[in-house]
Amino acid sequence: MTAVIEAKGLTRHYGKVEAVEDVSFSVQENSICGLLGRNGAGKTTVMRLITGQEFASLGEVHVFGERPVENAAVLTRTCFVRESQVYPDSFRGKHVLRAAAHLFPNWDADYAARLVEEFRVPLGRRMKKMSRGQRSAVGVIVGLAARAELTLLDEPYAGLDAVARELFYDHLLADYSANPRTIILSTHLIDEAARLLDHVIVVDRGRVIIDADADSLRGTAVTLVGAHAAVERFAAGKDVLGWEGIGGIASVTLTGLSDAERADATAAGLEIAPVSLQQLIVSRTRNTAQEVHS
Amino acid sequence: MTTYAVPTMGRRVATTMRVHLSNPWTLLFTPALVTLGVFGLNFAIWHVVLFAAGDKPLEPDAFDYNGGATWVMFYFVVIAVQAMNQTFSFTVGLGSTRRDYYLGTSATFVMLAVTFGVGMALLAGLERLTDGWGIEGRFFAPAVFASLPVWQLAIIYTLALALLMFVGAAGGATFVRWGSTGLIVFFGSIAALAIALSFVITWGGWWQSLGDFLAGRTALELAVMTLPIMVVAAAGGFALLRRATPRG
Repeated sequence: MTAVIEAKGLTRHYGKVEAVEDVSFSVQENSICGLLGRNGAGKTTVMRLITGQEFASLGEVHVFGERPVENAAVLTRTCFVRESQVYPDSFRGKHVLRAAAHLFPNWDADYAARLVEEFRVPLGRRMKKMSRGQRSAVGVIVGLAARAELTLLDEPYAGLDAVARELFYDHLLADYSANPRTIILSTHLIDEAARLLDHVIVVDRGRVIIDADADSLRGTAVTLVGAHAAVERFAAGKDVLGWEGIGGIASVTLTGLSDAERADATAAGLEIAPVSLQQLIVSRTRNTAQEVHS
Repeated sequence: MTTYAVPTMGRRVATTMRVHLSNPWTLLFTPALVTLGVFGLNFAIWHVVLFAAGDKPLEPDAFDYNGGATWVMFYFVVIAVQAMNQTFSFTVGLGSTRRDYYLGTSATFVMLAVTFGVGMALLAGLERLTDGWGIEGRFFAPAVFASLPVWQLAIIYTLALALLMFVGAAGGATFVRWGSTGLIVFFGSIAALAIALSFVITWGGWWQSLGDFLAGRTALELAVMTLPIMVVAAAGGFALLRRATPRG
C-alpha cells in the first residue's frame, strides 16, 4: 500500500482561531476514507489544505508525493466537490457538466448522463434556481464521473432525499469497485455511510482524535449495561467513552476490550451491546466538549 | 488505478478558456447584443433628431461625436471583474491551480479583446461604406477615429479592450482576495493615483508639454503606449490572485 496523502503537523490558523491544529495522518491509495467530525471541527479546512486551496500556517501535506499548492501535476488528478460549491450565476446544470468534462481528464460523459437520469437532475435549470438537493446531485455527479484518482467529497449529499442518498452510496461503491481510486468523504450521516468506509479519521476542534481502520473501529467499542456498581467496578481504569446512568442501572461505552475482558464482563452479569460508528464518534466528540467545559 | 499524463500547460490554459465559455452567453453573446443594442438606441435617437429637424438642415458634424462605443468599452471592465469573480471559486474550487486559471482567464480576455476589437473595426468600415448608416451617423468610429483606416481601428480597439479587461482582471482578483472592501479600495486607489499624478504634473508645470506630446502622437501610437499599463495590471492581478482562496 502506498500513501496518496501524507499530512505532518498540518496547522491552519485564522488570526487566533485554530481551524486545524497539528494534524498528522495518511490516506492509502485505493481506499475510501471517512473524514468525520462535528460542524466547524475542521474537516473542510483539512480538505482545502489537501487540495492546495488553503495555505498551511505550519506543517505540510504531500499528495501523490508532492506539495499540492499550485501543483498542476497533483491537482489535475484531483477532484474536490463540496456542499457549498460555488457555481457561476449564469451556469445551468449542463454548463457545469460541460466545464467538468474539460477540467477532468478521466471524465466519463456516458456515466454522467446515466447519473443525470437516475438522480433526475434538471440540466436546463440555472444552478442558483435549483433546490439544495438538486445542486448536491450535480456535485455528486461531477465527483463520480470525474473519475479522479483522488476524489474529495465534502458533505456531498446535503439536501438529497433518502432514495438519492442510497443511489449515491450504491453508485459510489459500484464505480469504486470498477475504477478503484482514493476517495475522501466527509459526512454527518455516519451510520449511513459507515458501510462504505475503509478508514476513518475523526477531527474535533481542529485535531485528529481517531485515525483507524473502520473494521477495527467497529469492533473496538462496546456498551456495557448492568447494575451501577458492577459497571463502575468493571470500567475502572479502562478507556471510557461515555457514561449514562438511570437509577441503579448504568451503561458505559468502552473501547479496547480484549476477548478475555469481554468474557469477564459477561461473567460479571453485564450485557454487551455493539456500538455503531456514529455512537462511537458522538460519544468521543461529546466527551472532549465536556472536558473542555468542566 | 487509471493513470494519465499530466495535461500540458497549453491544454490546461485551454481548459480554463472552455470553462469561461461553457455558457457562451456570458462573455460572447450578451456583450455582442449589448453593443448592438446601444448602437440601436443611438440609431433611433438620430432618427428622432432628424424627424424633429424636419426640413431644416443639420450641421454636417451633428452625429460625429458619440460616446456609445466608449460606453461599450467600459462595459468590458465590468465583464472582466464579474467573469473572474464568478469562475475563480468554481474552477479553482474543483481543482485547478491559480496559475492555470489566471493564464486561461487572460487568454480568454485577449481572445475577447481581439474578437470585439476587430468586430467593432469592421462595423466601423461598414459604417463608412453606408455613409454612416445612411444618415451620416458615427457610432463605431466617432470623432477623431472617423479618419483612421480600419486596420488601425482594429488594433486601437483591441488594445483598449485588452487594457480595460486587464484592469478589470486586477479588480476581479482584488475582489476574490478581499471581497467588496478590496474592490472599493482598488478603484479608490486608481482614482487617488490619477489625482496624485495630475497634481505632480500641475506642480511641475508640465501640462503644456504633456499636451504637446500627446497631440503629436497618433491614436495608434497612444494605444500602443498603454501596453505597459496593461502589463502592470495583468501582473498585479496575478500577484493578488496567487494568495487568494476560493469561497465555499
